[in-house]
Amino acid sequence: MPLFLYIERRSLLHRLHPTVKVFSMACFFVAAFVSEQPAASLPLALGIAALIHSAGAWPNVRRLRIIFMLVFVMTFAVWTLFYRGGEPWVRFGPAAISPTSMRFALGMAFKLVTFLGVGVVFLSTTKIEEFAYALTRVGMPYKLGFTMTLAFRLVPVFIDAAATVVQAQRCRGFDFDQGNLLQRMRRYVPVIVPVFMGALRRADGMAMALEARGFQSPKPRTTFERYEFTWRDAAVMASSLSVAALYLWLWQAGWTRVG
Amino acid sequence: MVVVMGATGAGKSTLAKCLNRTVPAFQAGELTGEIEILGEVMLGQGVADLAGKVGLVSQDFEAQLFATNVVQEIAFGMEQLGVTSDDMRRRIPAALAAVGLEGFDGRDPSTLSGGEKQRLAIAATVALRPQLLVFDEPTTDLDPLGKLEIFAVLAAMRRQGDTLVVIEHETAAAELADRLIILSDGRVVADDEPARLLADVEFLEKYGVRPPDLSRVARRFELSAPLTSIEDAEARLRARYAFPARAEKVASSAAISTGSLGVPGAQAKSEPLIEAAGLDFYYDSGQQALRGVSLTIRAGEFIALIGQNGSGKTTLAKHLNGLLRPLAGQVRLAGEDVRELPLNRVAHDIGYVFQNPDHQIFAATVLDEVAFGPRNLGFVSGEVAQRVAEALDAVGLVGLEGEDPFLLSKGHRQRLAVASLLAQRPQLLILDEPTTGLDYFEQRRMMDLIARLHAQGMAILMITHSPWVVAEYAERGVLMREGRVLFDGPLLDLLLQEDLLASAHFRSPEVTRLGKRLGLAVGCVDDLAAEVAKLIPGK
Amino acid sequence: MRDLIDMWRNTRMVVLTAMSASLYAAILIPFKVLPIIPGVTELRPANAVPVVCSFLFGPAAAWGAAIGNIIGDFFGGIGPGDMFGFVGNFLYGFIPYRAWELLSDEDPVPRSAGAWIKFVFVVSIASSACAMTIGWGLNLLGFIPFRVLGNIVLFNNVAASLLLGPFLLSVIYPRAKRGRLLYRDVMPQRQRGRRTSRRAGLLVVAVAAIGGIVVGNLLSSGSWHPPFVPPSEGGTGAAAVGFGLLPVMVLLALGIVLI
Repeated sequence: MPLFLYIERRSLLHRLHPTVKVFSMACFFVAAFVSEQPAASLPLALGIAALIHSAGAWPNVRRLRIIFMLVFVMTFAVWTLFYRGGEPWVRFGPAAISPTSMRFALGMAFKLVTFLGVGVVFLSTTKIEEFAYALTRVGMPYKLGFTMTLAFRLVPVFIDAAATVVQAQRCRGFDFDQGNLLQRMRRYVPVIVPVFMGALRRADGMAMALEARGFQSPKPRTTFERYEFTWRDAAVMASSLSVAALYLWLWQAGWTRVG
Repeated sequence: MVVVMGATGAGKSTLAKCLNRTVPAFQAGELTGEIEILGEVMLGQGVADLAGKVGLVSQDFEAQLFATNVVQEIAFGMEQLGVTSDDMRRRIPAALAAVGLEGFDGRDPSTLSGGEKQRLAIAATVALRPQLLVFDEPTTDLDPLGKLEIFAVLAAMRRQGDTLVVIEHETAAAELADRLIILSDGRVVADDEPARLLADVEFLEKYGVRPPDLSRVARRFELSAPLTSIEDAEARLRARYAFPARAEKVASSAAISTGSLGVPGAQAKSEPLIEAAGLDFYYDSGQQALRGVSLTIRAGEFIALIGQNGSGKTTLAKHLNGLLRPLAGQVRLAGEDVRELPLNRVAHDIGYVFQNPDHQIFAATVLDEVAFGPRNLGFVSGEVAQRVAEALDAVGLVGLEGEDPFLLSKGHRQRLAVASLLAQRPQLLILDEPTTGLDYFEQRRMMDLIARLHAQGMAILMITHSPWVVAEYAERGVLMREGRVLFDGPLLDLLLQEDLLASAHFRSPEVTRLGKRLGLAVGCVDDLAAEVAKLIPGK
Repeated sequence: MRDLIDMWRNTRMVVLTAMSASLYAAILIPFKVLPIIPGVTELRPANAVPVVCSFLFGPAAAWGAAIGNIIGDFFGGIGPGDMFGFVGNFLYGFIPYRAWELLSDEDPVPRSAGAWIKFVFVVSIASSACAMTIGWGLNLLGFIPFRVLGNIVLFNNVAASLLLGPFLLSVIYPRAKRGRLLYRDVMPQRQRGRRTSRRAGLLVVAVAAIGGIVVGNLLSSGSWHPPFVPPSEGGTGAAAVGFGLLPVMVLLALGIVLI
């Protein structure tokens, strides 16, 4: 199973210009953000489901189903208890449940799940390099973007190392799941230390290898990937922008709000 | 093509790093003297300034890959040096072709094998068109197939006329070279034609280089000129000694005389320690790793488990102590199902030394490191102390109790890892490639340690790729390919089956292949000499 | 603040940033399955990593924590709240080494009672600053009440750094020191601002961070309504927390600049 959510495909969404992907994601976030009640979230959610479908990202939704469910349930629970307003039915300590709070909580749960869906579309269709590229296009320094991709590439290396370390320590009679919170926390030491030291051992070699390949060279840098902005990108940008504008207008008119 | 060899600490790596200025740029210390490369004085140049002129590829391929796809990886250096996008588009396919990675364009480096990763690192360096290419132990972390891949790339580059400096532990690279340099204690002790140096057995051994088998045969039988091939060796030996006519079928060790290794007869009667039967296992990816594997290990055996990477060796070994659970089949430890046993009960009987000692070493002192296992097993402090002392004694690390394990040499860390499992006093010790990354001195020391443990009655299961280690130390051989056991029996029987071994990318030592041509089953040069002495009495 | 920019010219620091980020993410990701409030935060031993890295790698750990948190989000789901996660984690990696420099010349491996007090203090303000920033941001967006999220982040950070941090540091710090991989050895240290003004900055950071947690809780529960906050009838507390904590956030930023 791949670690991250990116799915190698050539769908329309995959082929969009990275900056357009980030821009459209932001537009959908705005639209989701102003949808306070489920009725407003619903068309948006359906639209996102269509995008998930066209990106071929359903496996990711399945993979994150527990997170989807928990986000919904937890958000609902938290806001049911902590939303202040309406006539409380029950009151315990600082928390109270009222019909208003439940209505609000339901809307918020929908909203956050919609966010999650937008995120899945983006992450399923965008490589880390594209993300870094888009961020550098809007002003992030190159080295920060590069470091992000480098860190991204190292994650599986360290996860594999951690898995091996856990096995190696188990062979020495090490049992992970014993004791109270303090003892359990301390049990991470035999696992984290070797992974950490492995990283430290490697740091110098990696810095050398980077410079040996010209990192920090005074020459002007070029970019290999050329992302072209096509009519498709323009169309997608325009549509995303209209979705955001529509929702803002509805919000301003009071149709997406609770109460 | 210049190959540089020598023991650990001889200064090989430092020399290589001087060539692209990573020494002194990344190494605190003092550098005197002058280096001139391609007609330019190096003094004052930065590492990045040299990037398009001198390429350096090192042992740790993970530290040399920075991108999440193959093409981007190769483009990275060119981007830094300002190569135009169009030019990159031409250079990338050429670089991939140079290392035989055509068609890997969109792959994520994390899905590549070690050999492929190392070749990608080479391609990324080649794309910068350096005039001098330096390789610092490029094959140390690779399996035999990966090593072959790299040697093939080096040979092709040499044919093309590229200038290469290669630091290596194995003589296979030296045989390709135009010049061989031996370093010791930071000095050049030899700089000569490879053929001449490789023939000098004493000299090589003195400086921590394992001499090629044929050189040792020539030395042992006092043949005057160096041997050029196994055929040459056979002809020369036949000319001197009266061997029986060419024996075509040296199939079984029962049919021919055996050397000192012999068949494990005594152990065959002892109680089975571990019985694995009908194991099936699938990786998360859905690929089948074990297909109905059965293996019985008896007390006091010495088994070599060989096969290519991905053949299922490590997967099988991890089933034996319950680290992995089979989908079908069962592993019994002293008659009990391993799945039913708690982990620390298994750890009493089986010690598992992982390939990389750094995956287990964590404590602040050597003492605490070795005590970790016994403490986990719940022994009282007196018992722990005794076990620690005994284990450190066995591996020869007495006196280092208070040292920081992190500062020890690789060879010491490897032995510390063994000690930390010995402290559990297991009946079976599993070792995953215990000699990888060690120089010849340290490899010998490690193997002699394992042989001593075996002599004291401990059963050994050793996963290894090293032909001479297998031939000189093991008694029983198990060969795996594609999740199946292809062979399980006396080691010499296995070593004589060259076709079978070839199908698993393994080759017997040269001396075994030579012996076979002479109708003898031998694992090392001493065996060959003993056999020859036996065959022709009076000569 | 200059070292946060200067470090990008040092390849080793760039590598240490990537390593801090991926170690954080690699230890974080396996624990995404144990969510408290999934998609937003979870109980994670990984939260000791930024603090440990901070003492070792200084400015590289600040950037590393921020990037590592983004990578963790790339695994589960991204949303508008991640901006605050970036800043909050940045502070979490930034404050410890800076504060320790001002308080002690010794290694950050607590052994004596005095060193423990300093360590707890440093970890508390770093954790609070992180928790306040994230809690404030997500309540401002109306996603989660401050009194839920702020306190969870605070608890996670403090628990992981205090229960795990000292053990990791006692083994790792001396080794990194001998390997000359501490930020002081990797990067030439330029003269920082005067010690008195930096100490004042530390005091401001401490007051803002710990005060911010208290004030945030009061605002979030509605127990206190400062006069400068526009009146609202409860709801999510977005306005109350958003406006009410703003002066504290400004104070924190001021302290960070001075420190």
